[in-house]
Amino acid sequence: MRWGGLLLALGGALLSAQDVASNPFRGDAKAADLGKASFRLRCSACHGIRADGGRGPALNRGEFAAGDTDLDIYRVIAEGVPGTEMSGYAARNSEESIWRIVTFLRTLEASPDDTIDGNASQGEDIFWNQAGCGGCHRVGSRGGRFGPALTRIGRARSTEHLRASLLDPDQDLPPGYYAVEIVTRDGQTIRGIGVGFDDFSAQVRDAAGQLHSFFREEVRSMSREFTSLMPDGYGDSLTDEQQRDLLAYLQSLHGEEQ
Amino acid sequence: MRVPSLCSVFLIGTALAHGQVDQVTLRAAQQDDESWLMYGRNYSAWRYSPLDEIDTGNVHRISPVWIFQSGVSGKFQTTPLVRDGVMYVTGPSNHAWALDLKTGRELWHYSEPVPEGAVGCCGKPNRGFAVKGDRLYKVNFQATLVALEASTGEVVWEVELADYREGYSNTVAPLIVKDMVVVGIAGAEYGTRDFVDAYDAETGRRVWRFWTVPGPGEAGNETWAGDSWKHGGASTWITGSYDPDLNLIYWGTGNPGPDLDGTPRRGDNLYSDSMVALDADTGELRWYFQFTPHDVHDWDAVADPVLVDLEVDGEPRKGLIHANRNGHYYALDRTNGEFLVGRAYTEVTWADGIGSDGRPILIPGHEPTDEGTLTCPGLGGGHNWHATSFSPLTGLYYFNSSDGCQIYHSAPQDYVQGEFYFGSAMENVSGEPREGSILAVEPSTGDTRWRYPLVSPPSSGLLSTGGGLLFAGTSEGYFFALDARSGKPLWRLRTGGRVQAPAITYRFGGRQYVATASGTAIFVFTLPQ
Ligand code: HEC
Ligand code: HEC
Repeated sequence: MRWGGLLLALGGALLSAQDVASNPFRGDAKAADLGKASFRLRCSACHGIRADGGRGPALNRGEFAAGDTDLDIYRVIAEGVPGTEMSGYAARNSEESIWRIVTFLRTLEASPDDTIDGNASQGEDIFWNQAGCGGCHRVGSRGGRFGPALTRIGRARSTEHLRASLLDPDQDLPPGYYAVEIVTRDGQTIRGIGVGFDDFSAQVRDAAGQLHSFFREEVRSMSREFTSLMPDGYGDSLTDEQQRDLLAYLQSLHGEEQ
Repeated sequence: MRVPSLCSVFLIGTALAHGQVDQVTLRAAQQDDESWLMYGRNYSAWRYSPLDEIDTGNVHRISPVWIFQSGVSGKFQTTPLVRDGVMYVTGPSNHAWALDLKTGRELWHYSEPVPEGAVGCCGKPNRGFAVKGDRLYKVNFQATLVALEASTGEVVWEVELADYREGYSNTVAPLIVKDMVVVGIAGAEYGTRDFVDAYDAETGRRVWRFWTVPGPGEAGNETWAGDSWKHGGASTWITGSYDPDLNLIYWGTGNPGPDLDGTPRRGDNLYSDSMVALDADTGELRWYFQFTPHDVHDWDAVADPVLVDLEVDGEPRKGLIHANRNGHYYALDRTNGEFLVGRAYTEVTWADGIGSDGRPILIPGHEPTDEGTLTCPGLGGGHNWHATSFSPLTGLYYFNSSDGCQIYHSAPQDYVQGEFYFGSAMENVSGEPREGSILAVEPSTGDTRWRYPLVSPPSSGLLSTGGGLLFAGTSEGYFFALDARSGKPLWRLRTGGRVQAPAITYRFGGRQYVATASGTAIFVFTLPQ
């Protein structure tokens, strides 16, 4: 299964497993520079211009969930992580070009360990009970559907992104999560997650999960805002310790629990 | 002008039936409302048809008469040609079709595989055919030019313009001038050195080549530090225009390479980001005008060079108007390249206007850096490449614009054959969505008459008509019509696919039709009978 995927990713198995097993550019500074340029172009939108993470995990921690060898990193870039925003690059990039990116990633100085020092099981309790996060978010099959699923969030996002999501939700919204506000002709306001918004219509899902759809000319106004519909007071309503516990819980979510 | 098609009815079965398109027909393309014979509809690149059966009062009643599903995925950016009851359409990845105008039925399908290793920055689109005599001409993605038999789609000849293994590719619709097929080339994101070429339409033999990056010993080569000219780019990926009276071909050129890193190529980098006027017979440079000297923001100047007569400061001028990706609208004198007008049409933070010499007045601090520099407009413009339209009816020039800013990063990079040679990346500004608009601009002054806002950066080109309409499409899949005078929306249809092409219009069987590519299909509309 795994080999099948890898061979497929190599575009018709032109190279044998041995050929790709070793990085042809290991330690080559020029290749790393080229890798940096393509990283910035193709990867930085998610992994940050300095590879310190964002919508994607930080890649400068000196360790990778995917594994420790260059081949492990090569493979995750080539094949992607199915079912996540991380798509495979083998179809769009040459093997050399992926190896150069790997070479660049290997030159990054390992950032200080930013694992949150908190109690994840306390955090789990806060998540489902006191803070009511579970009303809007699901983990595995449990929880609400208004916000994005957090089942894999510890693996998908950087620590900094998780902290910002909790304390300053308007920063860096995940794709598909913008707010739409409709004011109907009779003065009613409907605000919710934008499911669609274009020049002539809008579709919006309200907090109760109800879908509304309008053409522009049917309503008094329709507008879209790139702001979060997640409450933004958690910095005040939760103690520092509770915040750390919650973040430690989020960091522990790697998609295993179903 | 009905005469040619009446003739063709009488001449069916003779060689002349498909031999109508020559230099005379092409010069008169503006009057021929039955056909659509070239990329910009006429040599002046107006994309305006005098047809007025579909107008502001009845456009809300148009509906599809047929839809052609190509079954080929990719970006459909084609301007279909229409002639003698047949529509000729090019698709992405070296596909093309002839369609029966009456029923939409496929008459033939041409395709050629894209070779492994042919690379391009932005998909494998194709922007259309050119037609002359009984032949069609198109480029293939791997930087070739092919001549097809219009009646069968069979290949007459195919010539290589450049070696795709060096990073060259091609997407442009050719332009017929006299007995030549004039084409541009793409590849500036891969460190190619680009050109405009003319080929003998009969044999495929090259008649002339104009290098958009001059070689050693040629004027302009000194505007490139060291050997940087070798990978200087300046692609020519959108069709130019032609003034038969002046015998000049006008063609816009793209960014210098590497796009965002100017350090290896100090100097103005001629003739990147320029309008060049070439002698149609020899390809010699008659004049040039560089919009963005030493560009570090990827602001190609490939957008349509539109030829209109202007009155500037009370003086009549033979004008060339152009909406540049750097955020400014320009009017030049097309006889000599003299700068007439330069006006910002969207938010511009890198220049404080255009000086009387035509050079932007730079605001310091807008070079891309390692940490990133916020500059407006973003990398795609402003107005990028999408087809524009000039309506002699309203006297207005229509084009679209991406509005917003981006953060430009640089990262030095060595040239490696076949690798993206870009010198870094852009970031969007967090919380600031990039939006767009369609603008109607006064050609002589650059004043914006109206602006129709779009929720996303624009994706389609434009068409204006004698019915007072402006047709456009969106990336969310709407095809729609605005009142060309006011910008008021009059009609729309959700086609279900991104509209990335400009629409065309023609008359067939006495009725007006409007056609556009959308998604991977061609839609054709008319009024109910
Ligand atoms: C659209 C956003 C996005 C883009 C673009 C993107 N990634 Fe990712 N990447 C992610 C996400 C999200 C994950 C985490 C997937 C998961 O849930 O396991 C990830 C995971 C990874 C991993 C695995 C990390 C680990 O610890 O195992 C690597 C390596 C990686 N990406 C490299 C790249 C490279 C190199 C590029 C560019 C060629 C790239 N990514 C482009 C979003 C992106
Ligand atoms: C009223 C519903 C609601 C509640 C309650 C809520 N959220 Fe959210 N959350 C959202 C929405 C909507 C988004 C998506 C927009 C955004 O990123 O801010 C979101 C986004 C997030 C993200 C970012 C997800 C990603 O894919 O990047 C995290 C992490 C998160 N929430 C955690 C929490 C935690 C922890 C709590 C409880 C302290 C909580 N949320 C409470 C609605 C909610």
